This record gives sequence, structure tokens and C-alpha cells, in this order.
Amino acid sequence: ENREAMLSSKSNRLTEALEEANRLFDGVCRAREAALDAQFLVIASNIGKEKANELHSEMSAFDSAAFAEDLLTFMGINRTELEETDDSADDEPCVFLPSDAWLKMGEEALKYFRRAPTFHYMMGSFKSEPPVPKQRIERQKKASRGKAERAMPAQLKKMEESHQEATEKEVERILGILQTYFENDPNIPISFFDFVIDPNSFARTVENMFHVSFLVRDGLAKIKVHEDGLPVIEPLKPSGGEEEDSRAGVRNQVVINLNQKAWQ
Amino acid sequence: QVSELVQFLLVKDQKKIPIKRADMLKNVIREYRDAYSEIVNKAGRILLEVFGLQLVEIDTKRHIYILINNLPRAEGQYLCKDKEKEKMGLLLAILSFIFMKGNSVKDSALWEFLHLLRVYPGKQHNVFGDVRKLVTEEFVRQKYLETTPIPLTDPPEFKFQWGPRAEKETSKKDVLNFVAKIQGKDPTFWASQYSEARATS
Repeated sequence: ENREAMLSSKSNRLTEALEEANRLFDGVCRAREAALDAQFLVIASNIGKEKANELHSEMSAFDSAAFAEDLLTFMGINRTELEETDDSADDEPCVFLPSDAWLKMGEEALKYFRRAPTFHYMMGSFKSEPPVPKQRIERQKKASRGKAERAMPAQLKKMEESHQEATEKEVERILGILQTYFENDPNIPISFFDFVIDPNSFARTVENMFHVSFLVRDGLAKIKVHEDGLPVIEPLKPSGGEEEDSRAGVRNQVVINLNQKAWQ
Repeated sequence: QVSELVQFLLVKDQKKIPIKRADMLKNVIREYRDAYSEIVNKAGRILLEVFGLQLVEIDTKRHIYILINNLPRAEGQYLCKDKEKEKMGLLLAILSFIFMKGNSVKDSALWEFLHLLRVYPGKQHNVFGDVRKLVTEEFVRQKYLETTPIPLTDPPEFKFQWGPRAEKETSKKDVLNFVAKIQGKDPTFWASQYSEARATS
């Protein structure tokens, strides 16, 4: 409680208090009293440390008030203003200091620190424009992403469906072409290879073969080996009835081996 | 991996909050844990040789690092944001006060000193904003200052000392020179501080 009084360097009160504590301790017989005693010792030692600290700085007489005044001077305080407004209440103390006071202080301070300069990405020669559009873009992205995600489940389903549809459409288209060729001249067999090969694209060729295989599977076209050993393809008229069934029994499975070299 | 760590450290250092080894392991090194010390050493070398920055471990128990500038202080303009400069100014004033007062000050003493500089921790400052927060949180988190509670004080009081970053980025000698410059005196004017500064450089 009497901290300040004890701190005063002229005071012996700390010593007196310690001596009294020593005397009291002899009469201690309960744990609680011993705890209080211990508490007192901690406080006393803190005060003792503070006293020692004060002694230390007093040796070299550091006047913090004078230091503060000198700092303000360095920062460029306007002292005439100070005298005039001395009577006024201390509401706006910052008025006395110029606005760049602390900046000036900071410039000087940096000389005393080995501070690593903060790392920033160099955005190039463009100055204030990028930040603004960036924000907008980010917001747009976030918004559209949200929508896109919501649309995704619906879309995905559609895509899968359309894949099948695409194949079916392609197959139909090819059937149509086949039928057209055949109708033009039913007697000239259409060479299978002529039909499927795309001279410009190996991938397309394979795709065509893929689609043709559907036609064959579904009984809409047939491939037979011509006299010269090369396969020919012709459309079939899908008709219900026993004829179909008996013919369906004569199905063959053929594996066609075609690699890019052969294609070329 | 090394260059990733270098970039990670440079970016993490922007806020001047010390970097923990755990963060380095989690974000960069990950599966290369065993080579950890090798990677860190190499990263340190690159930072030193390419960027002139020193990777310093300020806490060897908890493995916490900071980046400081290894290059000698150049005279002239510093590439630094104004906000950062102003904070450094305030920090230097505080560090000076702490050192000259014997390396440790009570919080009440520090606030009293700041009042003399027209900085009031209770009020919003037009440059520093929430000063109390800046001093007790930001500077402490950055390890420029260290604050410890004084036991058995009610209401609780704290004492302030230099933090490990302050010890590395500046020195008692530099700070004494600053005080001497501001007060227009020779550093030897303060005998005990002067001998202490000489002893620890």
C-alpha cells in the first residue's frame, strides 16, 4: 500500500517492514500466515528491485522530460503556438505538432534499425489502375463461380446425355450418307475403307469406323468381303420378321486393325 | 523447395511477425521434413547472398525466426511506407526511454513518457490510431517489445523491455547515439548507459 513512500530513496521503510516481517514470522504457526508472509516477501522484493533500478538510473541522471522536449523540437514543434494556447484545455494536443512530425522522426529512426525492407511484388509500371479492376474482376469471378457451380450439376447431366445423343446423331448421319450413296447406284459396292477413311484425319477415320460399327450392330448396315478381298459396306433395310432373325444369326465379329501408318 | 521457402519467408516477413518453424514445415517443406535443416540453411544463404537479409532464430526453443537487414545502413532515402516510418519513429522513442531508464520500465511510466510526446494511449491518435494497441499488441507480436506482468499487482501492472527483434535490429550503442544526437550531448554524458552499451556491442 505504501509503495510510493517505500520507493523514496530516503526512506528506510522497506528495511523496517522487512525487519518486522522477520519478527512476526517467529510467531507463525498456521500455513495461511506463512503464505501471507511469502506474499509479503514477493512484494517487498519487487519494491526492492524498483529501488535498485532507480538508483541505477539516478547515477547517470537521465531526464526523460528533457528528452521528450528535445524529441518534440526535433519533430518540428511550433513553440509559439504552445505558449498562446497554454490556457486552453488539453483537448487537441496534436495541434501543436506539424503533420509530418512523426514522419521526420521515422526517417531518422530508420537509420538506427537493420530492418529488412518489406517484400512486395513489383506490379510493373502501371500504377493505380490495376487495383480497381482487379477488385471488380474478383467479385465477378466469385459471383460467376457461384452460378457456374450451381449450373454444373444440371449441365453435367446434359453433357452426358448429349454425348450419347451426339453419337446417335453421327450414326444416323452416316447411315443417311450410306443410304444416299447406295441409292445413287445400288450396284456399285461401296468400299468400306473409302467410306470410313478421312484422308485428312486419322482420328476422324477411327471415329467413322466407330459409328459404322453401330450400324452393323443394329442391323442397319452390313459389311461383306468383296471379290478383291476388301470389305464393302451396304445399308440394310431394317424390317421386322423372321427373315431378319435368321439373318441375325449369321453375325460375325470382326476386328479391324488399323494404325496410323497403315492409314497413311 | 529452397526457392519456395525463400519466397515464403519474404512474404511472411511483410508484417514483421516472426515466422514459426511449424509454419515453414506445413506450408513449404511438407514431405521433405528430414531435409529441413539443410533446406533452411540453403534458404538462409540465398537470402544473405542475393537479398542481403539475415535469417535469425530468435527463439531456439520454439524455433522462431525473423529477417533482418545484413547490409550496412545506407545514408539517404529509405524505400518504406510512411506508416511504417512513423511507427519506427515511435518505436525508437520507446526503446530509447526503456534503455536509458535501465532496460525495464513500468507501463505507467511508459504512458507518462508518451504523454510528454503528445501521444495518449487512452485516445485515438491522428497518426497512430489506437496507440495502446500498437504498443502492447503490434510491437509485442513483432517482438520489438516484450511485456511481462508484475506479480501481485492489483490492478495488474506490466513492465516493458526490449524484445528480441529490437536486440537484433538495433543496439544499445546505436540508441544511445540517437539520444545523444537528440539532446545535443556526447554519449559519454550518461556514464553507466555508455559503459553498458560498450559492453554489449
